[in-house]
Parts: sequence; structure tokens; C-alpha cells
Amino acid sequence: MTSAPVLQISDLRKSFGSEEVLKGVNLTVQRGEVVVLLGSSGSGKSTFLRCINRLEEPTSGSITLNGNSVTASNANLRTLRKQIGMVFQSFNLYPHLTALKNITLALRLSLGQTRQAAEEQAKHMLAQVGLAEKAHAHPSELSGGQQQRVAIARALALEPQVMLFDEPTSALDPELVGSVLEVIRLLRQRHMTMVIVTHELGFAREAADRIIMMDKGEIVEEGPPEQLFTAPKHPRTREFLKHFTGR
Amino acid sequence: MFLENFFDINAIIYTYPLLLDGFLLTVKLVAVIVPAGIALGTILALIYALGGWFTKAGFILYVDTFRSLPPLVLLVFIFYGLPFLGIQLGSFASAVLALVLNGSSYYAEIVRAGIVAIPKGQWDAGRATGLTRFQTIVYIVLPQAVRNVVGPLLGNTLELTKATSICSVVALPEFLRTAQIAQSHVYNPTPLVFVALVYLILLWPLARLVSRLERGIATH
Amino acid sequence: MEQIQYYYFNLPIMRDALPTMLHGLGLTVLMALTTVAMGVGAGLLLAILRSYPSRWIRWPIICFVDVFRSLPQLVIIILIYFALPYAGIEFSPFWSTVLGLSLVLAAFAQESFWAGITATPRGQWEAATATGLSHTATVLFVVLPPAIKTSIPSLTNRIIAVTKGTALGSAVAVQELLAHAQSIQSVVANPSPLTLGALLYMAIFAPMVAFSRWLEWRYRWSR
Repeated sequence: MTSAPVLQISDLRKSFGSEEVLKGVNLTVQRGEVVVLLGSSGSGKSTFLRCINRLEEPTSGSITLNGNSVTASNANLRTLRKQIGMVFQSFNLYPHLTALKNITLALRLSLGQTRQAAEEQAKHMLAQVGLAEKAHAHPSELSGGQQQRVAIARALALEPQVMLFDEPTSALDPELVGSVLEVIRLLRQRHMTMVIVTHELGFAREAADRIIMMDKGEIVEEGPPEQLFTAPKHPRTREFLKHFTGR
Repeated sequence: MFLENFFDINAIIYTYPLLLDGFLLTVKLVAVIVPAGIALGTILALIYALGGWFTKAGFILYVDTFRSLPPLVLLVFIFYGLPFLGIQLGSFASAVLALVLNGSSYYAEIVRAGIVAIPKGQWDAGRATGLTRFQTIVYIVLPQAVRNVVGPLLGNTLELTKATSICSVVALPEFLRTAQIAQSHVYNPTPLVFVALVYLILLWPLARLVSRLERGIATH
Repeated sequence: MEQIQYYYFNLPIMRDALPTMLHGLGLTVLMALTTVAMGVGAGLLLAILRSYPSRWIRWPIICFVDVFRSLPQLVIIILIYFALPYAGIEFSPFWSTVLGLSLVLAAFAQESFWAGITATPRGQWEAATATGLSHTATVLFVVLPPAIKTSIPSLTNRIIAVTKGTALGSAVAVQELLAHAQSIQSVVANPSPLTLGALLYMAIFAPMVAFSRWLEWRYRWSR
């Protein structure tokens, strides 16, 4: 396996007014690596994720994707964003389009694919997330778990270099969480590079190659899941794990 | 050349007394029509809310009839048509009648929509504490309803205020009419431009306010 | 009672007036349709342009909208017909009316569409942006379709209110429905043509009013 970094983020800072929510975050993600970001709400992990494709404009710092700068003022943002897949907490499917059309829209408009090629690709993607038969359903006819799987398929269809997940299961009823996590596990087996913000600690422990613990806009601890879960060093990590595992 | 034609100060100075009379008559029209329209509209909405299905049907017939008729058609009918029956209203009274009929139908529909949007629990609470239906609607439902529809009410007030300019057609010397007379005196469109500017300066803040209030409701 | 029938529902007079009045009705409908096409089209275009993050686009649009919401329709029509010729710009009575009403409708339609656009959840913009869609593509294919749907009730009300203004054309001598009703009325010295005119106006607008009532009713129950 090559170990060229896909994503390289250095000294990323972000302020909202006078409040600094990211205080110089550094992160390097290798190809095929699964990184899980943990932290209580307000720790800045979602903002961090949203800075990576510049949905949130970083105040300073640099981000490169496969050596290409995302933060440069002349960066071709549309091209770079196609290579960064993003999955949102609230799915954000387009309500007026079917599952299939939700996927083909960007294929046709961003990648310039023909209608036929786009639909073929979209059907393939839907099959991968186990929703081949829901191609012509509108989002309102799908359960939350199904909607989120369509959203994942929509991001995957562009064949991104890295996938960002922003609390993908937080808006789901407990019984629907499993189906979404199953899809992410499948991506892991295929060596998709992923950065995941989640509160599913069991899943994080099982699926992550590396866990990053964030607190108040900084990374306070990082390491392999076993180490972090069994022997957390930083007091904030210990407190967090205690709170979330109920022990 | 352009300034001379459209912003000839002398034309305004010369026709100023006429224009002032027109302006004051427009203010007078608004001062009569808006309160009368709101009062009649509110009464109609109350009758709708308290009445049975027959009353409700009557309400819808009234509101939709006057919403379907251009106010100018109504005005022409009242001003030129009613005298055949011996009802000679004159231009001011005709204007008031036409615009109150038109305006009240819109006000009534707005207040009605506000009333039916109030949760049934509010009615139940009123009735459960021993209030009559009439007391419940006046003291509990209507105040909440009106607060929720302030934006549309003001919007209709703006429309009604603008609509007074149609009275120029029945020779009522309101603001627009005096501008047209003034224009024919001075052979110059400056009075028309002047009147448009006065309308704009006076109604712009109201238009801003209305769109702010409507936006506020949309993002609720 | 007999008097009322003779003066307001005089069938022989109505029958004689009908062909001419139907001509007027045709012109009224033509003015209304032209106004709707131009006004709604321009309003939609303005709302799309307003979504671009540039104050040089946004500001003039907001000014345009405010001006044409503040001015009475008849003042605008009179200005176009009687004042613009002094600047060498002349419109026929028909086009003065249609242009004046279209400007007003464009302003109101812009507001309706814009309200729909701003009501679009931020996540929709973000999802489109994250998949590399351009601003234009996002607005056209993601934001507008639901926004247009939400704007339909308010837009319908505005269309009715503004197209009723076609009657104002009579003030600048457009030979539309009201103008014909008035001129026949003065010739036959009987107001029945006015009644007929009112009925014909209602024949066009009452279904639209009923449609808007139905829209609002459906909207309330679909939530």
C-alpha cells in the first residue's frame, strides 16, 4: 500500500466573530485510512469537517488534497469539491427529485456525463447501498436510514478521493442506524479514505484506524482505537469516554 | 432638456396649490377608507367564525365577488350606474363605497385566515372558563389572530392606499387627478413626475415594512 | 324591482352590447396574458439574479422592486403614456398599460420567488455545493423547483391583483372591456352594459379567486 497522504491539513484556524472555534488543527490522512473524530458538541469537529471542502471558510491555515491546495485563493473549488464526498447529518436530499435523480444531477452537471451513463452509474451506486429498488422513490417516501444511504450513494457516485461524514447517524431512529453503519463498513473494506464525525463509540472502536479526540477547537489526543479506548491519556478523553459509555 | 421637461421647478411652483388640494383629498380618502375597510372586514370575519355553514357561504360569496371585480369596475358602476335608480352619491362617496367594498373583502379574508389558524385549544380554554363564544373570539382568538396577520393587513393597507388613485377616473380631484390637470396647464409632465415621487417617498417605508413583516412570517 | 331589472339587467340591451363587449373581453384577456408572461418571467429572472452574492446585482433589484411596489398602478401607466413621450419614448395605450402592469407584477413576483428561495434550507445549498455544482446549476435545478412550488399561492394572489388592473387601461383609452361597457352605457343611457361588464370580469377572475382559495386550503392540509 502506498502511503502518500490524501489529505493534509495544517494549522487550520476558524473564528466566528471573536470566538475562535478551531485553534490550529493539524491532520494528515493517508490513502485508505479511516479517521474518526470524537468530541463533545461545541468541540469544533463539525466545523473542522466543513472547512475541509470550504463549506465553511477557514480563517487561516492550509489544506491540500493529493498535493493540490484547497485553500489557495486560485483553487478550483468546484473541481476539488467533486473529489471530496460529503454526507450530512440531515441527509439534505433534494425533495423534488427521485433517489436516482438526486444522484444523476451532479453526475450530469458537475461531471458532464450523458443521461444514460449517469443513470447507469446511479443505479450501480444505489445497488451498492442496497436500495436498487428505490430508484424512483422520492425522499419523502424513504425512511431516514434509506435517505442517508441515498445521500451516501450521491456522494460516492462522483468517485471522490475522500469521504467526509458529519454525524451521519445522529438524526436517525436507533433501529435505522445499523443499515447506514453497514454501508460505511463496506466502504472501509474497499479502502475508501474517510473522515467521520460520530458519537457511535462502538462503531468508532471497530472501524477506525485512528481516533482523534477534539476539545475546544484543538486536538487533545490521537491514536489507534484500542489505545485510546483502553488507556486514554488526556483527562478530557477520559471524561468523554466515561460520559458516553456510561461507565 | 431632460431636466426642463421632467423636473421643471416652475411648473410645480405654478400648480402647487392645486396639487396640495389633491394631496389632502387623497389623505382624506385614505383616512376614511382604511379604518372603514378594517372595521367592516373584521366584523365580517367575526360573523364567519361565529356563524353556521349558511353564513360562511355568504361570507365567501361576498369576499370572492369583490375580490373578482376590479375596483375601477366597481367604482364606475357605482358612479355611473347607480344614479339611474335615483341614487346620486357624488364622486367622493362613490369612491369611498367602492374602495370600502373592495378593501373590506381583502381585510375580511386576511382576518378570517388568522382566526382559523388559531388552535382549537384556545377556543376550548375560553369556553371551559365560562366565556361565551362571542367573548372567546373577541378576547382570546381575535387578538392572537390579528397579531399573526399584521404583515398582510399592512400589505392590504398599502394596496388600498395606492388604489385611491383610480378615483381620478371619476373626476374626483385627488392627487393623481390634480397632477393630470396641472400637466394640461403647464404642457409639461413635471407635475406627474412630482406626484409619483411624493407617492414613492411616502409609501416606500410602508412597502419596506410590509416586506420585512412578510419575510418574518415566511422564516418562522 | 321592475326598475332594477330594466336598468341593470336589461336583456335586449345586453344582447346588443354583447358582441362589442366580447371584443373588449378579448383585449382584456390578451393584456392579462401578456402581463402575466412578461411580469412573471421578469420576476423569476430578477429573483434568480438576486441570489448571486454581489451587491451590484442585489441593490438595483431591491430598488426596482421597492419602487414598483410603492407606486400606484395607475400612476405608473399614466406616467408611461403621458410623460414618457416628452422624452421621445412613445407607447400605444395597449403597451403602456401592459408595460406598467408588467413592471408591477415583476416586482411582486420577484418577492414571491425570493421568499421561496430564502425559505430553502441551507443544507440544500450545501449538498449541491459539496457535489461541485455551480451557483447557477444549484439555483436552477436544486433551489428553484421547490421554491417555485412554495411561491405559487402568493404568486397567484398577486397575478389576480395585478391583472385586474387591466381595467385601468380604459383610463388611457385602451378599448378593453370596461371602456366598451362605459361607452355603450352612455350611448344607450342604460347601465346594463356595466352589469354585463362586471359579470364578464367575474367570469374571468372568479375562477382564479376560487383556485387561489383551493390552493391555500390544500396547502394548509398538506402540512
